Amino acid sequence: MKSEPVLLARVGRERSQAIDTYLADGGYETLRKVLTGGWTPEAVTEEVKKSGLRGRGGAGFPTGVKWGFVPKDTKGKPVYLLCNADESEPGTFKDRLLMEEDPHQMLEGQILSAFALRCHTSYVYIRGEFFHGARVLQRAIDEAYEKGFLGENILGSGFSHDVTVHRGAGAYICGEETGLIESLEGKRGQPRVKPPFPAVVGVFGAPTIVNNVETLCCVTHVLKRGADWFAKIGRNEKNSGPKLYCLSGHVNRPGVYEAPMGLQMKELLFGDDYGRGMKDGRKVKAVIPGGASAAMLTAGEIEDCPLDFDGLAAKKSMLGSAAIIVMNEDTCIVDAATNLAKFFSHESCGQCTPCREGTPWLHRVLSRIEAGEGRAEDVELLEKISNQMGNGITLCVFADAAIAPVLSSIGKFRDEYRYHVENKRCLVGPRAAVEAVTA
Amino acid sequence: MSAPAPPAPAAPPPPKKDTLTIVFDGKPIEVPPGINLIEAAKLAGIEIPHFCFHPRLSVVGQCRMCLVEIEGIPKIQAACTTPIKDGLAVKTTTQKVRESRAANMEFLLINHPLDCPICDQAGECKLQDNAFGYGEQRSRYDERKRQYAGYDRTAIGPHVVADMTRCIQCTRCIRFCQEIAGTGELTFLDRGGRTLVWTHDGKPLANDWSACAADVCPVGALTTKEFRFRRRVWDLKKTPSVCPGCNIGCNISIEDRDSVVYRFLPRLNPAVNDYWLCDYGRFLSESLNAREISKATVREGSDVRDAIVPAAVERIASEIRSTIETDGPSAIFFLGSAHLSNEENFLLRKIADHIGCGNRDVVVDRSRVRRMKSKTEWIEGDHAGANYAGARDMGLSPGPGGHGLTDVLEGRWIPQIVVVADASFAAAADDAEKVGRLRGARFLAVAARTANSLTRAADVVLPAASLAQKEGSFTNVQGRVQWFQRAFLPPPPARAHWELLLLLGVALGWGDRNWTPAAVRTQIREEVEGYDEVTEQELAGGGLMKKGLFVSTGAV
Amino acid sequence: MTSRRYAVLPAGRPAEFPPDARARIERILSRYPTKQAALLPVLWVAQETWGWISREAAEEVARILELSPAHVSGVLTFYTMYNLEPVGRHLLQFCTSISCHLAGAGGLLEHCRRRLGIDLGQTTADGRFTMVEVECIAGCDRAPSMMIDDAYHEPMDPSKLDALLESLP
Repeated sequence: MKSEPVLLARVGRERSQAIDTYLADGGYETLRKVLTGGWTPEAVTEEVKKSGLRGRGGAGFPTGVKWGFVPKDTKGKPVYLLCNADESEPGTFKDRLLMEEDPHQMLEGQILSAFALRCHTSYVYIRGEFFHGARVLQRAIDEAYEKGFLGENILGSGFSHDVTVHRGAGAYICGEETGLIESLEGKRGQPRVKPPFPAVVGVFGAPTIVNNVETLCCVTHVLKRGADWFAKIGRNEKNSGPKLYCLSGHVNRPGVYEAPMGLQMKELLFGDDYGRGMKDGRKVKAVIPGGASAAMLTAGEIEDCPLDFDGLAAKKSMLGSAAIIVMNEDTCIVDAATNLAKFFSHESCGQCTPCREGTPWLHRVLSRIEAGEGRAEDVELLEKISNQMGNGITLCVFADAAIAPVLSSIGKFRDEYRYHVENKRCLVGPRAAVEAVTA
Repeated sequence: MSAPAPPAPAAPPPPKKDTLTIVFDGKPIEVPPGINLIEAAKLAGIEIPHFCFHPRLSVVGQCRMCLVEIEGIPKIQAACTTPIKDGLAVKTTTQKVRESRAANMEFLLINHPLDCPICDQAGECKLQDNAFGYGEQRSRYDERKRQYAGYDRTAIGPHVVADMTRCIQCTRCIRFCQEIAGTGELTFLDRGGRTLVWTHDGKPLANDWSACAADVCPVGALTTKEFRFRRRVWDLKKTPSVCPGCNIGCNISIEDRDSVVYRFLPRLNPAVNDYWLCDYGRFLSESLNAREISKATVREGSDVRDAIVPAAVERIASEIRSTIETDGPSAIFFLGSAHLSNEENFLLRKIADHIGCGNRDVVVDRSRVRRMKSKTEWIEGDHAGANYAGARDMGLSPGPGGHGLTDVLEGRWIPQIVVVADASFAAAADDAEKVGRLRGARFLAVAARTANSLTRAADVVLPAASLAQKEGSFTNVQGRVQWFQRAFLPPPPARAHWELLLLLGVALGWGDRNWTPAAVRTQIREEVEGYDEVTEQELAGGGLMKKGLFVSTGAV
Repeated sequence: MTSRRYAVLPAGRPAEFPPDARARIERILSRYPTKQAALLPVLWVAQETWGWISREAAEEVARILELSPAHVSGVLTFYTMYNLEPVGRHLLQFCTSISCHLAGAGGLLEHCRRRLGIDLGQTTADGRFTMVEVECIAGCDRAPSMMIDDAYHEPMDPSKLDALLESLP
């Protein structure tokens, strides 16, 4: 049973990007209500806390709690809000949709969040590849300035705010909070040592909050319809609100789907309102539930699998960016792991030893196995390398993300790895498809 | 009835501790606040292996070698980035720590060429040391190693040669150029496993301290052109000394083998040069090997004959004695040097005093301004001699009614005898006009190691020692008195300047041939204002500011 | 991934921004509290001005933003979207990350390789096309996804690609 969409309510409508259609749909009324209706920043933060909204970027940290980490006394420093629109996690494409189709929804949430943070300058760090998204967003910002929703003394409330679109230039790691901050400062996007955390010392040495696009969209709705309304959506109060799921891979109808947090994985894959089952009637072999960094699940594990923070944590994986990548029975798991390892090897920033040296090593060994040059000891070696890289021994979580697909695929498909090593090839998967083209 | 007891005085607040207690492997130690955990461990006698951490560079936490366990934190932590606080309990020897270090070593070595047999860093390589101390015997890496083709064996500046394939991406060199030199020539290029250190578009790494980038490099990725392939470092003997390059007086180690100086390295002194040394001073090391005056010579008419040193000294003494008889002591001129030690300049002045001569001076040999960053401030030097301040302190200025060097050079006064205590460095020594003025004297005596116009003009030349061949003390531009030790003996018959001066003093009836520089320092302590607290212990411990004579150079 | 270049190649072109680009840079600078923060946007202006970022352009950016050229080089080579050498009129960007990979991106790439007779990172002799591989571009539901210059073309298949390659100037 599909519920009424919240975040995607306006997506697909004609001129959904334009401010006039947004206003006609009641847009910026929430901003007016909050800014001119006697709300204090503290009350806004409290409302967001009460809603149970957890960050939609990957880590799932409670948004209101994060805002609360900004020191009361900022010692004369401004507070910055950064919208993380660097959507780069393989399998994830929800923020692109939100920005390209309904930019004002995000912008209203961003201004509301800025008000709560007493922040007068915010940036949208949008990945470089989103040329179109950046243009749509810039147009929306220009419209918002024209209509007085941005700039000096917004709606006569005395609150002023400026938003700037800042384009990245091709680096996955800039989706990591402190990598993003470094990049915004005009540096290489190498994550920082923590502590201090960004809420205390962030961009330009000032307290900084980084929130994901979808999170900011949710803020709009929390304040529009109330924390209680938001908290009631979803499986429970710790996994609340509407959620966007990015479904891709071997399903009949991939796409971005909105559902209350905690949608069953099987419903997403097979439901008529969602994926409508596996392409060509093949069977599910594995599912990556939260983007490339999340541990793979087997077909057995997707039974009774609520797609939310705690549901996936219980399966030793994670919701991450809610990118559900479905692989059918014809998929070579070694090939898939090699592809993911290549991604992480290419995107490691290179500062921490285990990650800089470990990610290419994993990729090389996997490539060898995939190419039919695997050795008996390779599978164990992959596990050892991974264990040496992980468990938080690096500056950021990238290394832990990089090993998740390797360890989970080996753990769950060990026989297939063995088969690959012993028989020097695999007869299924995209590699076989490439060979068919080149034959 | 007695009056009610006065209220008990409030319990005094607990004394505010100005140190923190850190417990290393169960052993508590008091450390000053603000210290890095790696340095705190060092105070406790515990080595936490590391690569990217450097006490004077920003903490980046990148190499992940300094992993330790902290009580109360489940995850293993990098010591360098762990905020220090009172009561912190650190475990450095657990199995988890050992395994993590070994794992990190394996990662560092998989792409390292392991070309230690042809690498100049071998023997002072942190990678080698830590591999030995914390690594496993075998690597499981069996893939092709990374190579940075075109970035090896390449000079990236006038002094520094890069072998990027050896680099472990610790960024110390980058941070040195950014944070200490302030020139920022180096950067990371590319990213991930392809990250390398280079300059923009191959521009030279050329700043006044560029070789420090090689010093801070923990591996053989940056080495100096001058030292490359010259000696295995374990063959070299280190002797504490002071840089002869200018009056900042940077602390150095002279490294020699078989009486040949191979290099200078900076020797830590936070108050002066900290961990650094400028390229100019550093590469003066080779000049210490020059030896052009290897025996004493005496001019007899138009002939220059070899002589034994005592005979040559006696010749000077006899000239002085006869001049005193004919023209009095004021016809004699003693020229000290900013390149000579306090002890030597003191001896020269005492000889002048002994014969009652007030004509004494040092050469004012200004150089371009050189800059050095101490732990807290920039220091500027502007004299070519390391001991200009000390030479003046020892009294080498014209006495009352006496003449100075400018009187001679400007032709206002022609002495009968000129004694130049060190001709090797004097700026005047190759200036024909100035030499001509000095040569205007009836008799000219010099001590020297290298030949120049002045030595060629002299009547008596005494073979003198290099900096490496003698001990003594210099007083720098801050007024800090610093000790330099002898690395090796001068080749006979050459002798330290102080020995030559003592021979002369004894020949003139003053002093004791058995005196050592330490004995001379005892006299300096007694006689020279501000030097009374400069004890031998203080000298051995990094030098001491002269009392009341501190000259702040100010932060730059 | 395609191999990346470590050094910025010489340009042989003047690296003085035209007046409209200078005006854009001034507007960009007004949005940040530090000049350095404008580095990525200003490099974008440079790339839009010249199509790639030459050594001289990098130095000009360094001069305007009061940064060391080394810093600019470090940033330029960290990010993948700045062209460090001239590229063809059209930049064919093939996503080969997991979802596109599962949808046959490898075959598409191979098809294009054969059709154009060039490898990744290379430009066709007529200067029309440069082929590069990119990481996930958030087009996973319409895989295999690709970008030509700054526009998405998805889902892509060999015949659609053939038609596109024909039609592009």
